[in-house]
Amino acid sequence: MVPVKATQRETLGGLTLPSKFRALRQQLGQAVTPYLFLVPGLILFAAFILLPMAYSFRISFYDWNIIRPERSEYLELKNYQDIIEWPIFRRAVVNTLAYAAVTVPAQIILGLGLALLLNQKIPGQTFFRTVYYLPVITSWVIVTLLFEYLFNSQAGLINYWLQRAGIIDDPVRWFADEKLAMVPIHLLGIWKGLGWTAVVMLAGLQSIPRVLYEAAAVDGADVWAQFRRITLPLMRPTLVFLLVFLTIGALNVYISGLLLTDGGNPLDRTHFVLTLMYEETFDYFEFGRGAAISYLLTGLVFLISLVQIRLLQREIEY
Amino acid sequence: MRKTRRLHATITYALLILGIAVVLIPFVYMFSSSIKPQSYVFEMPPRLIPAEITTRNYTEALDTDQFGLYFLNSVIVAVGATTLTVLISSMMAYAFGRMHFRGKGLLFTILLLGMMIPPVMLIIPQFLIAKELHLLNSLAGLIVVYVTMNLSMQTFLLTGFFKSIPKELTEAALIDGANQWTIFWRIILPLSRHGLAVTIIFTFLYSWEEFPWAHVAIQETNRRTLPIAIALFQNQHLTEWGQVFAASIVALLPVLAVYIVFQRYFIAGIATTGMKT
Amino acid sequence: MKTKAFTLTILLMLFMAFAMPTVQAQDKTTVRYWHTMSDPETAKLEELIATFEAAHPEIDIEATRYAYDDFRQALLTGLAGGDPPDVARLDIVWVPEFADLGALEAMDEVLPDFEERASGFFPGPLATNYWDGHYWGLPLNTNTQVLLYNKAQFEEAGLEPPTTVTDFAEAACTLSSGEERYGYALGGTYFWAPAPLFYAQGGSITDEEVTTADGYLNSDASVAAFQTLVDMYKAGCISPNLLGGGIGTASGHADGLYSMIIDGPWMVDIYANDYPDFEVNFAPIPAGPDGTTSSVVGGENVVLFADAAEKDAALAWIDFLLSEEYQLGMAEVGVIPTLSSLAGNEALPEYFGVFMEQLETAQARTPSPHWSEIDNIINNAFQYMLRDEKSVQQALDDAVAEINALLSR
Repeated sequence: MVPVKATQRETLGGLTLPSKFRALRQQLGQAVTPYLFLVPGLILFAAFILLPMAYSFRISFYDWNIIRPERSEYLELKNYQDIIEWPIFRRAVVNTLAYAAVTVPAQIILGLGLALLLNQKIPGQTFFRTVYYLPVITSWVIVTLLFEYLFNSQAGLINYWLQRAGIIDDPVRWFADEKLAMVPIHLLGIWKGLGWTAVVMLAGLQSIPRVLYEAAAVDGADVWAQFRRITLPLMRPTLVFLLVFLTIGALNVYISGLLLTDGGNPLDRTHFVLTLMYEETFDYFEFGRGAAISYLLTGLVFLISLVQIRLLQREIEY
Repeated sequence: MRKTRRLHATITYALLILGIAVVLIPFVYMFSSSIKPQSYVFEMPPRLIPAEITTRNYTEALDTDQFGLYFLNSVIVAVGATTLTVLISSMMAYAFGRMHFRGKGLLFTILLLGMMIPPVMLIIPQFLIAKELHLLNSLAGLIVVYVTMNLSMQTFLLTGFFKSIPKELTEAALIDGANQWTIFWRIILPLSRHGLAVTIIFTFLYSWEEFPWAHVAIQETNRRTLPIAIALFQNQHLTEWGQVFAASIVALLPVLAVYIVFQRYFIAGIATTGMKT
Repeated sequence: MKTKAFTLTILLMLFMAFAMPTVQAQDKTTVRYWHTMSDPETAKLEELIATFEAAHPEIDIEATRYAYDDFRQALLTGLAGGDPPDVARLDIVWVPEFADLGALEAMDEVLPDFEERASGFFPGPLATNYWDGHYWGLPLNTNTQVLLYNKAQFEEAGLEPPTTVTDFAEAACTLSSGEERYGYALGGTYFWAPAPLFYAQGGSITDEEVTTADGYLNSDASVAAFQTLVDMYKAGCISPNLLGGGIGTASGHADGLYSMIIDGPWMVDIYANDYPDFEVNFAPIPAGPDGTTSSVVGGENVVLFADAAEKDAALAWIDFLLSEEYQLGMAEVGVIPTLSSLAGNEALPEYFGVFMEQLETAQARTPSPHWSEIDNIINNAFQYMLRDEKSVQQALDDAVAEINALLSR
């Protein structure tokens, strides 16, 4: 295992160490090197993610006084119990799950379609790819404001066009109704994420060897059969990846809700888990409850990701 | 045969252009509103092509406080955070993807946890820690946190990428006596341009648009970044839509530039990153 | 070559980021002052800071402006980390909340001449600082809402600006025409929007000691006040924008879509900037059934944080903020002073008249550390009524139960 050239180099460097000691040093080096590569990242991770997580975990059991922590009252599990029984929280969980259930499949299906289109050898590919990525690279705050403006009930472009097209008679009051309010919020989520989904799908498609399709064509398989027998199975890892990541992202929906419904309006019925957490923490100063809500969400995200990975990976194996 | 192919291409283009319309109309509307006077922002019927054009929103937005300085701050933070993320997460990914050591599985799992936690919940404790480290009120404080928030995802993606590089390429170097750092720096990184492009685009975008942390960690006006400046156009009593959109369009340009420069590596890069593991 | 230049640029940027931060002010005392002022107000503030610093060369004022919606988050995070500003300009309804947290210094304890100084303010704005036996700030600026009406539309319909709520409702309905025009529009359903007409009709939220809402928020007068608005809304005389997602009141009024809105003195400046051709007309809030007008007191108080490092310098800055010089300066950009000595001062803009007069009858919102929650409860109650999910009486009875639960905590 001791490389010849290394020995030469060390001798050249004027260091002639006893070979036993050298071997030991090398073994030690091999054991330590991986950690040296990890150290900078792990330090940051511990300082700015693990420690803060521990802090939040602790305060989730208290009625936390943010200025005089020593005056905080230990509540055991009361924060968690109260929140789980709280109808507004339950509604927020349902809204968040519904958001994921709508936006994730929509992004995957539309993204796959778009990727199939973009995967063809056509002029203007770069242009198309850039344009479709535009919503992805625009900040959440800006696109949210843009949607608020587009869906303005009195002078918005959407209502105007829907009326012109004869689809609706009267302007729709998008943000005045808890169900309708979800339409722009869901559409925004799909519209914003589509480009990224399509790019990932495109990458997956491009890694499928062309030979497979050619062989299938020789065997007389039509396009649909090719899609079912080659594209879908080979895209499975990509699809699993997207499913897990899009779901995590969707369950963390936050900025669009916060800005579009102004604190769960109407009637605290449009909250998502994180907008509720924000309101408890920064509007009502309930830091312990806010932390408990965050932990409940983290648990939910963890659980769902785990289930998704387990279920889908098992399928792959067979 | 040729006919069906032409039909095929026509349908492809038709669908792509329809899609483009859906994607672009909001942006066109944003642009057209950014060159409308405020009194036309809510005109009925709404117009895509403004009846009256003004550059006032742009001059006012760019004139505000120190727009140029905020822009520069954002550039420094985004470039700094991107560079360090590329460096630190690729180092971690190298260890996870190409080395064997004790506790690897556990460490990797813990790292992945970082992707599942909502960032808002970390802000107050992060502030406490940044204060202890004298990182408040500094661009460095923004960079350090942005790097950390991107570590999990980027390390995960790059680990997959590094794994896909054939062993033979590095074994030869090992026999030649190169140490791990040399292999990482001279062989793996140059071979990973595609994977790094993914990291660059993600991190740059994240650092460029991040609001919550920059909002609390920077208390001094002249160290602020663009997203904070743009939020200030939303007055307590009236939103200056034209100015918000004008500033947003200006803010979009650098990210667009980064995407256009790196996009040719991007798709190839994604194809070999983590999601294939 | 190219790569080297690129690497160098990046290194330079990193260096700038990591080397720049710790520039300490030399021998000067720095006072950190946070606020949420508008553009023109901030520009004026910069001028006044220069004046102050010229007179106090040993003090450096570091003013930071925040967006109103994001201000609490910045303050709270700063407080949690023991790094709040020294002095801040807080919305008057936030003062009890931050006092309850233990974040603020009681002014009557830090100022030896508090009594004397307190007597120099208009009593209404001063009272908004009082909670739990102490004054937690001093009134920095005050405002209230009055009626803004579109003169041309009134003349065209042969109407005079309304002086009673009954006339007001009638005028609003006469001026309304489907979706083309609404006689009246509110900015939303949070309490600030309906407050002027609510108070003018004798509505109230709690007793003086803030112990119960029962018999106040659900009193006959309070119910009748909300009923007026609900009836107007159902008759199509109030714009549906108050339920969210419509055209804002400021733009809508200037565009002629809303004949009347109720808003504050800052509108003069907003219209001058964004709608230079629009003529603003003010009138007092119409009077309720007992013939008296009223409105809601708004404004900001200046507070000193308990963690402030340099209290003397901070107090010197507060002194200046409450001086005639500062208050007259800010009046130029539409900020109403709180010093009673400035009443009738010729330097004040003419349009202040209607606001100063309205302030004499305007009422302050309930001082409570739970105000944000109470506000949300009333907001929800108003929504229930407008959406016809509950009767006015029912909605307010339910709101009373929720508020009382909060107050007894």
